[in-house]
Amino acid sequence: MQAQLPGPWSPLLGRLTLDQIPYQVPILQWTFAGVVVIGLAVVFCVLYFRKAGYLWREWLTTVDHKKIGVMYIVVGLVMLFRGFVDGLMMRTQQVLANGPNAPGIMGAQHGFLPPYHFDQVYSAHGTIMILFAATPILTGFQNIVVPLQIGARDMAFPYMNALSLWLTTAGAALVMLSLFVGDFSAAGWVGLIPLTELPFSPGTGVDYWMWAIQISSVGTTLNAINMITTIVEMRAPGMSWFRLPVFSWTTLSSNIIALTAFPVLGVALALLGADRYLGAHFFTAGNGGNLMLYTNLFWIWGHPEVYFLILPVFGILSEVVPTFSEKPLFGYVTMVAATFAIAGISWLVWLHHFFTMGAGPDINGFFSVATMLVGIPTGVKVFNWAFTLYRGRIHFSVPMLWALFGLFLLLAGGLTGMMLALPAINYTVHDSVFLVAHFHCMVLLVVAAAFAGVTYWFPKLFGFKLDEGWGKAFFWVFTLGTVITFAAMFALGFEGETRRLDWTFDPAWKPMLIVEEFGIMLYVVSIVCFVIMLAVSIRDRAKTRLAQPWPTARTLEWLTHTPVPFYNFAVTPQVNMRDELAWRREHGLDQAKPDRYEAIHMPSNSALPVIIGALAGVWGFAMIWRIWWLAGLSLAGIIVCVIIRSFDKNEGYYLQPEEIEAMETNLAIGAIIAEQPDRSHSSIPAEAH
Amino acid sequence: MAGAHSDPLTHPEVAQGGVLRYIAGFISTTALMGAALVVTLRHDQPYETYLGLVGGLALLALVSQAVLYYGLDISRSQIWKSVALMLTMPLFIITVGLTVWMFQSLDQRTMLMPQTMEQPTLLQ
Repeated sequence: MQAQLPGPWSPLLGRLTLDQIPYQVPILQWTFAGVVVIGLAVVFCVLYFRKAGYLWREWLTTVDHKKIGVMYIVVGLVMLFRGFVDGLMMRTQQVLANGPNAPGIMGAQHGFLPPYHFDQVYSAHGTIMILFAATPILTGFQNIVVPLQIGARDMAFPYMNALSLWLTTAGAALVMLSLFVGDFSAAGWVGLIPLTELPFSPGTGVDYWMWAIQISSVGTTLNAINMITTIVEMRAPGMSWFRLPVFSWTTLSSNIIALTAFPVLGVALALLGADRYLGAHFFTAGNGGNLMLYTNLFWIWGHPEVYFLILPVFGILSEVVPTFSEKPLFGYVTMVAATFAIAGISWLVWLHHFFTMGAGPDINGFFSVATMLVGIPTGVKVFNWAFTLYRGRIHFSVPMLWALFGLFLLLAGGLTGMMLALPAINYTVHDSVFLVAHFHCMVLLVVAAAFAGVTYWFPKLFGFKLDEGWGKAFFWVFTLGTVITFAAMFALGFEGETRRLDWTFDPAWKPMLIVEEFGIMLYVVSIVCFVIMLAVSIRDRAKTRLAQPWPTARTLEWLTHTPVPFYNFAVTPQVNMRDELAWRREHGLDQAKPDRYEAIHMPSNSALPVIIGALAGVWGFAMIWRIWWLAGLSLAGIIVCVIIRSFDKNEGYYLQPEEIEAMETNLAIGAIIAEQPDRSHSSIPAEAH
Repeated sequence: MAGAHSDPLTHPEVAQGGVLRYIAGFISTTALMGAALVVTLRHDQPYETYLGLVGGLALLALVSQAVLYYGLDISRSQIWKSVALMLTMPLFIITVGLTVWMFQSLDQRTMLMPQTMEQPTLLQ
């Protein structure tokens, strides 16, 4: 039943041999050295400042939605950087390897990357940016903001929330591990079929890609269940559906998409796994298989995934634009309706990813019209934001700049998307870098909204604002880099450059390739600005510590203290209006203090999620290398952890009223970065029963 | 949080489960899916019969899981889960329906092989 494997296999180490460590590749030698140096520096800092215990107790084992959200964003930003380096390598390779006489170094005929390495770089770039950067960053925001926006104490399932994070992290770790042990997939982020079949990709690269996505998408699916349940069940008294902030609405809709779409990806990859591991023929050209079935299944997930990413972005814009326009959001109800219209249509458009397959004019016509329909609710949203800005008192703070740039990218990406929705145009420019430039407008919209969100909600968590000066420098350099890189890429698409070229054969492309390289270098400068922004902000944090960092914020998350205490709200808020904080401010109630505090029931931390995440990572590694005993052992370990959890009688602890009062007076001791005393054995007060 | 259950076994969703139901659900689902596998491996039926048989067995397995494993019914504690399952039906119909339509069209337009060379595929 098992598929015939090319190459050696041993019962102890499976396919793993010393040859699989690419120590002879110079780029990876430098990368490995960098990772070791940074890793040792982090370990040294943790040990030197004696923070190992703190890190374990307060972060790695936490079930607090805010800390989990922060860790999601940290994982996402690290992977964003890794994905960016891949992009930098691709741009540099294409400009160096231009024309028939382009010289080659480090084993490459042209440029510095041999074709097989280049293929892995673009495959890793796409996989990382979509699944291990954009997804965790947005999930992080949802984790941080949604419970606060709806007045909840935490997520509905705090333990499962931690588990989701660590499963996603295990997937990301496998992608990173593929740098130093074996290869990554060279078959594109979409898993171009039949390239991903065993005879065409006999190494472990496709397995890394497949298992990393499988494991992390289990985390994403669990998170979707958690988000939906939280929003449906955990809203504060008075938070009726039409008082729900738009970011929470978009989170709800995008997680409905995630819950329904990710299982399709799971099935597609499981069937591919059956082909690769069991010798099945689901996606082979012969023996009853069907190649296009994979492409079809992948994009049945893939296009809803696009809206899974974009809808929370629209939510972030809908929070930032009113705050910095000093106006309520225009057309709240239509905004909510448009959100769900987009979510609904997202299930009807997937075939536009393969118009050129040959399905015929009636099929292409249907999916073309469905795709263009997305423009209607999206247009409603854009006009709503425009009308919010109209006659507003606009503050061009850093989050607002990112939001406005996001609108520009939405316009550029949306209009080119409309062009691509027409099969006639699609036939002309498909597989060209015009398409690549189009979808980069959309994913850079995610990045723009992410930085809007980072700068907007950072003070909520940590109590001080990010430096405006360096924030603006970061914004302008990044924006300039984006415009220069992708304007040139649109032009190259029209000049006929196809995507995924390790060697750009036409010398006429050289000028635009140089422009692209210049643009990507600006991104490098922008990263320096970002790091300086963080450093300066931390250095000057005493100067920017404000009780209300954005005095025009309108929604419930800004009602509680800044920095937000780990228990969120000292007293569960009673919601009276849609923009609760704006309403309270208007009525002089925003500074009101409760008469008395009551004990708060809090969940206890647990080491099991991080252990299960680590075991899932080991299991993935064992499956990739076909080390069956290790796969069995790690799976047994996961099952044992689940059984231990099932018999866990820990019901959390109660935060006593006097403790709450102390923390409400001195915010530093309740902040999420503060170390909390062990309360796991604190008795449950009689009045709490 | 204040509404946390101190005894999970008294939770209505947990209480409606049972060892016998789990075992019955597991055995029936495994048997139905095993039967679908055997039918497919035998390869001795016309394509339309396969489609009906495997589809019918899959539907029975789904119903068996929903009823025996998850205890879905219209009781107060389960009604929203049952409704949620029903709400996924339009998505199922859209994706499977559009996929069948697309593959049928694709087959007619691209698989122009002589009749004798054709092999049975899932969507012929």
